[in-house]
Amino acid sequence: MNSSALIHAVIDGVLTGSVYALMATGLTLIFGVMDIINVAQGIFVILGAYLSYALSVHWGIDPFVGLVITIPTLFLVGIVVERAFIGRLKGPEKTAMSILVTYAISLVIEGALNMIFSVNYVQISASYVNKTFDIFGVYFAYIYVYGFIMAAILLSALYVMLYRTRFGASIRAALADQTAAALVGIDVKRVSTICFGIGIAVTAAGGMVFGATNAFNASTSYDLISRLLVIIVLGGMGSLGGALLAGILMVTLEDIVGVVWSPVWSIIAFYIVLVIVLSIRPQGLFGKQSARVA
Amino acid sequence: MLRKRNLLWLVALAIALFVPTFITNPAYRQIAVITLIFTACATSWNMFSGYSGYVALGSAAFYGTGAYTMALVAVHMHIPAGGDMFWLVPVGGLAAMLVAVPVGLIALRVRRHTFVVITIAIFFVFQLAAINFNFTGGTGGLTLPYIPWLIQNYHIPFYYVALAMLVFAIGLSAAVRRSRFGLQLLAIRDDEDRALGLGVKVFPVKLTGFAMSAFTIGMGGALYAMMQGQIYPQFVFDPIFDISIALMAFFGGFGTLLGPILGGLVLESSQQYLTVTYSNGSLYLILFGVLFLLVVLFMPQGIVVYIRDAWTKRQDRLASSSENPVTQGGHS
Amino acid sequence: MKTKGKLLRAFGVTSVAAATAMMMATTSGASSSGSIAKGAPVTIGISLSLSGDFSADGLAYQQGYKLWAADVNAAGGLLGHKVKLDIVSDASSPTQVVTNYQKLISVDHVNLTFGPFSTLLTLPAAQTVNRYGYAMIEGAGGGPSVFQAGLKNVFDVTLPVAYDLQPFATWLTSLPASSRPKTISYVTSNDPFTQPVVQQAQKLIGSKLKTVYNKVFPAEATDYTSIADAVAAAKAQVVVLGSVDVPTVSAFMQAFEQAHYTPEAFIATAGPDQGAAFIKAVGAGNADGMMVPNSWYGGSKNPASMKMVAEYVKQYGGTAAGVNADIAEAYSVGQVMAQAVTATKGFDNSKIIKYLHSGATLSSVQGSVKFNSLGENTAQTAYTFQWQGAKFVEVNPVGDPGASKVLFPKPAWGK
Repeated sequence: MNSSALIHAVIDGVLTGSVYALMATGLTLIFGVMDIINVAQGIFVILGAYLSYALSVHWGIDPFVGLVITIPTLFLVGIVVERAFIGRLKGPEKTAMSILVTYAISLVIEGALNMIFSVNYVQISASYVNKTFDIFGVYFAYIYVYGFIMAAILLSALYVMLYRTRFGASIRAALADQTAAALVGIDVKRVSTICFGIGIAVTAAGGMVFGATNAFNASTSYDLISRLLVIIVLGGMGSLGGALLAGILMVTLEDIVGVVWSPVWSIIAFYIVLVIVLSIRPQGLFGKQSARVA
Repeated sequence: MLRKRNLLWLVALAIALFVPTFITNPAYRQIAVITLIFTACATSWNMFSGYSGYVALGSAAFYGTGAYTMALVAVHMHIPAGGDMFWLVPVGGLAAMLVAVPVGLIALRVRRHTFVVITIAIFFVFQLAAINFNFTGGTGGLTLPYIPWLIQNYHIPFYYVALAMLVFAIGLSAAVRRSRFGLQLLAIRDDEDRALGLGVKVFPVKLTGFAMSAFTIGMGGALYAMMQGQIYPQFVFDPIFDISIALMAFFGGFGTLLGPILGGLVLESSQQYLTVTYSNGSLYLILFGVLFLLVVLFMPQGIVVYIRDAWTKRQDRLASSSENPVTQGGHS
Repeated sequence: MKTKGKLLRAFGVTSVAAATAMMMATTSGASSSGSIAKGAPVTIGISLSLSGDFSADGLAYQQGYKLWAADVNAAGGLLGHKVKLDIVSDASSPTQVVTNYQKLISVDHVNLTFGPFSTLLTLPAAQTVNRYGYAMIEGAGGGPSVFQAGLKNVFDVTLPVAYDLQPFATWLTSLPASSRPKTISYVTSNDPFTQPVVQQAQKLIGSKLKTVYNKVFPAEATDYTSIADAVAAAKAQVVVLGSVDVPTVSAFMQAFEQAHYTPEAFIATAGPDQGAAFIKAVGAGNADGMMVPNSWYGGSKNPASMKMVAEYVKQYGGTAAGVNADIAEAYSVGQVMAQAVTATKGFDNSKIIKYLHSGATLSSVQGSVKFNSLGENTAQTAYTFQWQGAKFVEVNPVGDPGASKVLFPKPAWGK
């Protein structure tokens, strides 16, 4: 077993995992505040990737610079989607219905993307996708490091907002207990809408990095959403720290297994870890313990 | 006790029995068989998820297990290609049921919301195992013994077996609904803690329901495998299958008996028809998504309940205008 | 309550009836009669991957089939009947392929069928078509699984893939000991096409080179970086990559470049043979030295091939080297069918199948075609090709009249 390959695996796990963590954070935030499982998160990532791609190919805008356009755009898209569809869901089956509604939305977006961009695989290219840094003797393309820095900045910004602003406090209140939050006068509906918007906006950033490091088309979203869902389940649905940890853990574990054993088993290893953790701790690493007994 | 309601079921069955005689085109007969298989799966899925409220989105794991069981047994036990293979259909169902037990032991211990996602995760473990293990044939999948029946009659036996499976699924679902076991499931759906407090053995009840629903779904997979002659991991362990059967149940009416039947017949037959006529097109994705959004937003309880409620409202309106007493609506 | 229940039941029954009515559109079974009315066109049904994983090849196949149809029609058609192609898309899905061929035959009533792209899709297609008694002539389903199914109706005009890497293996192991590489890595997708090819190469090369890396990766992987990095870390002098398409090869090449790793010899089972599509994806400087097995290339001196290449370049632009090997495969399928139709003087599928199994030798732009009882083309030679500068040249088998010298070792990336 090659030690430089192992070092590479660990570092890649942190760099790439942080980007997944960013996207998963959006998903877990939406769930925590709204009890909505947004299975369209994957297709929104791809939408963000395509937007960055289009900006780069048609107008020559650098993908990172393009984020200035794509992040607010996806934020607005999130707000509109929430107002039009998600916000209407209520009742005891709200969560189950949200899966179906968001799935329907993802179908529509997928079909639209296929028609606009065709199903051929594309990848965002930029000068820094190929040039590499030398870290501890292994080479990493600039994009991975830049992506990590960006994810770190955005996640930090998110934490600052949550813990230092009043709005952030209302989000945390809604995360803890929606009814109680409403009772103390927090406009839960408004908080929900904005949270959904934030949750989607982060996919623009994650999508850009994903699109630069992977060839993608609209159907890549299925693999993405399954990864994001299991990340938030492992981390604990509704827990932001959990999403971060689980995201990094997932990619690191996969990479290490791929080096030590075989790439074919990488992702299975992760799922097995997931199942083991859930057998012992059904609520995930940092999830809320439910009051009932199984 | 031939009540009007039962009479209508019999009429529907009679029509269904004669379908292969008026549809003679093999491509369309195949649509009919697949529609029946999906409807049976949706009914069976609803029997657990609809009644207990635990929306399981990983049932394709059972479908795939049934399919692979059929393929592996047929090949390794050298079952002669042809009618004998039909005996493996219930074997597929049994395999799925056995597999559902450990899956349920892990998945049913969590809250409803997490349950949904865990079933998805466990489903992916199955899919990946099928892709990566050697004995399951990897990405290339498995080929079943080639059944040499003539194309003009090929689908007929499959149709009747699928119909029998659907009748079985409906019968089982109805029986559960009327039984004490069914009441316990419904109680869990309404308020699990309260049910627990009232003495319902919640965990064994959930596990039993889960395993029972896996049986028919496994049979569906096995029958499909036999008919297609070839299975591929991404297609018998297909996340779209999960969503489709949930969609069918919700479309028709989540938790009702007729709901998944309606949903399955309408949605699956139209999806298959569009697939045959237009091949795969992005337009169809958009149409489906839009259609579904509309149903979910305007008829969130599903079509069956929507119609039932609309009918009840109409009756009430009629009653209040004519001041005749009206009999109370009941459950379907 | 009773009336309301009745309404619901009626609704349920009606929906069954409605679904039934919708399907009652056509009512006929299969026919393989073989005779066509005078003046009517002969329709050929084809399912192609116009979208999905195999879309690049599917589109190339479409071009190839259409080119053939245009040429045949310009020469008067098949037995005087104009050829009409009925192409539907299967989105690279094996289940859709089955539905497509069923529809083509039983709803569209096509007279003949051509094959789809890839081993994965050809097998279910051939089985389906077999039930209707139709022949399946194809050019891209060469994996062992296709021939092991025991079907009598499948005919692959292209060399069976198991022999693909034979010339490469021979060249590699016969290099003089001083210049022969010592180490080799095998990495392949677990696809029914690539895996047998790479395994066969491994068998042929055996212990003459030391295997330092030998892994299989999932076909549906999207991020090849970690796998490619592991291969790069093994620092083998030769890399044998089992890939099905350009994106896979380009991802590996990119990762190798990032890791500053250049193997002395690098061969991929598919991708570099896609001509201009390959160059566009990886850049001309990087393509230098890349090798790929195939039985045809744009510079082939076969007269029919040169005519086809000229027509293609006239219609689509580019150079001879940029012509995708898929074009030739598809064209050959058409040619073989045409010869079978002419020989059996009709469109009867059972007669066509019998003729093709009779041991007759046919010709195509890819060379000679002769089928054995399994449907394999035993009359073709395997070649290895290499990009040298902007040119795509034949390099193996060594000593073959058309072969150039192998560019060895491979130049560094990005030159």
